[in-house]
Amino acid sequence: MSATAAQLPVQTQASRSSRVRKQRMWQIGRTLLAAAVALFFMLPIIWWALASIKPMQEIIAAPPKLWGFDPTMNWYRVVLFNADPDTFNLEQTGAVGRGSGGATFYSIPYLKASFIIGLCSTFFVLLVATPAAYALSRFRLARRKDLAFWVLSQRMMPPIVVAFPLFFMYRKFHLIDTYPGMILIYTVINLPLAVLLLMSFFDEVPPDIDDAALVDGASRWEAFHQIIIHYVGGGLAATAVLTFIFCWNEFLLALVLTTGKIRTVPVASSTFTTAFATEWGYLAALGTASMVPIFIFILLVQRHLVRGLTLGAVK
Amino acid sequence: MENPDSSAEQFPTILPPPVAGSLPTRTGVARERAWPWLLPMVFLLLAIGIYPLIFNIWNSFREFNPMKGRVEPVGLENWQRLFTDPRAFDSIKTTFIYVLSALIIEFILGLAIAALLNSGPWGSGLWQSMLILPMVVPPTVAAVMFKVLENPDYGPLSYYLMKMGITSMQEPLLGGNGKYAMQAVLIPDIWQWTPFFILILLAGMKALPTEPLEAAKVDGANAWQSFFGVTLPMLRPMIAVAVLFRLVDLIKVFDYIYVLTSGGPGTKTEVLSYYDYQRNFATIEWGYGSVLGLVILVIAIVVANVYVKVFKVQW
Repeated sequence: MSATAAQLPVQTQASRSSRVRKQRMWQIGRTLLAAAVALFFMLPIIWWALASIKPMQEIIAAPPKLWGFDPTMNWYRVVLFNADPDTFNLEQTGAVGRGSGGATFYSIPYLKASFIIGLCSTFFVLLVATPAAYALSRFRLARRKDLAFWVLSQRMMPPIVVAFPLFFMYRKFHLIDTYPGMILIYTVINLPLAVLLLMSFFDEVPPDIDDAALVDGASRWEAFHQIIIHYVGGGLAATAVLTFIFCWNEFLLALVLTTGKIRTVPVASSTFTTAFATEWGYLAALGTASMVPIFIFILLVQRHLVRGLTLGAVK
Repeated sequence: MENPDSSAEQFPTILPPPVAGSLPTRTGVARERAWPWLLPMVFLLLAIGIYPLIFNIWNSFREFNPMKGRVEPVGLENWQRLFTDPRAFDSIKTTFIYVLSALIIEFILGLAIAALLNSGPWGSGLWQSMLILPMVVPPTVAAVMFKVLENPDYGPLSYYLMKMGITSMQEPLLGGNGKYAMQAVLIPDIWQWTPFFILILLAGMKALPTEPLEAAKVDGANAWQSFFGVTLPMLRPMIAVAVLFRLVDLIKVFDYIYVLTSGGPGTKTEVLSYYDYQRNFATIEWGYGSVLGLVILVIAIVVANVYVKVFKVQW
């Protein structure tokens, strides 16, 4: 910094202060622009969260209102607490739909199914991926690079190609509409992400530590699960969160491999729209409820997010 | 260090004292058996990676006969049908239009916003956290959100676009004759995935060495010149990785189409995944559905491989 400053021509007091003022103006401009962009991207989420506490006629009001409406909790009462929509004042909520085709607005079962499938899948993904990632990072394998690339290529498989054969396989083995079936497929489709991401975290732990443990008489397995695993705690957390979010958001496979006995949140949201054209308040309440947990999770591990999204390619 | 990089993790601070270099190391000395560590992962990935492929190929030579209620061999009929099916070609064209539009818009917006956040506005961490959130909203929830926002009768987005005279009552953003149907399904995609480019490119910019930029400044380059002449070329590897990941995900696009337009009006927004889904699960043409699934797979593999070769992606 000082080197470049020295090369500038000597300036008068006045011109320097005008330059400082100009820089400050630019700084304020940049900040305002950045804030505007961030708010613009947040706007749909804010609007949707507000819609979940608006009466129906306010949701569909044009021009849209961001404030100045009578908030209502009725959508949440139905969606989260199984209240009967008929008992509410129709004028206020416009809630008339009772649900049909096996879908009800009461969404705790959907949230529960999504949570069970997401948590179990995340557990099994870590169970299988961690030793594999360690081996890929540490062992001398003849075709290590090819193996890693094959794992990467599995991540790129279009789900629609997998969905149809799986539908048949699952029907044969009675796995349609079951938790084990959903957990199995979500474990498999998230393995590539987890293996490659964890591999990049193991690569950052110097192999000298393993060697020290091995010299002291520990077995490979002991070195791995008693020592090395503790150095990748942050990596494990980031991998777990990303895996959970991908499970939580997945739609196509859940749509094909369940028929209604188990319904995840994305499938429930999509059936709401097709079955009942105008019950937006329920959808806003369910959508908001389903976004809050993942917002919290992702902000906790956001410093590893870039690495996670590129499977360790960009750190 | 002139520019302490907060995102770079300095490892040695939490390490035990280094092991003396003279100690014998066991890594790679004895060939360790890696397969017990890798076997569960390889087995699961093979089961899901290879089985659907074989099933699809086998199934592409058979077809479900609704008269007899069973699947029968039909030889090459399904493959001949592919080459005389204009809807298949249209859906491939639609997919390419969708993929390219989304990719170009998301990349340019992402690059611009990343540059803005990298120029040092106050509170850049906060803006960055806000920009992460759209990315983790379940795509179906995002699609439902935009279905309301774009509703021609009361959607706020529709309302303002009509007010500005961009769309009209006859040709609203969503619905009508579908003049803007493609834009309508692209908007949620752009909203959710521009942040993907912002995050990766911003991380890339922060990790760049500062010397070349300072040298350019000394040589009298203005901000514009040093961005396009210095920053952008140095960002190339990050850009290549980000575009590749987005590209393979875009080829699979399904959720937004399913919720927002169901491929309509007519087949205006029918991408290949959605068309395949229709053949498999709506019109129950399983054999032909398998053919279309293989087409998607081949397109994904070819596009990804050509891209990796042309842009020399280092992964």
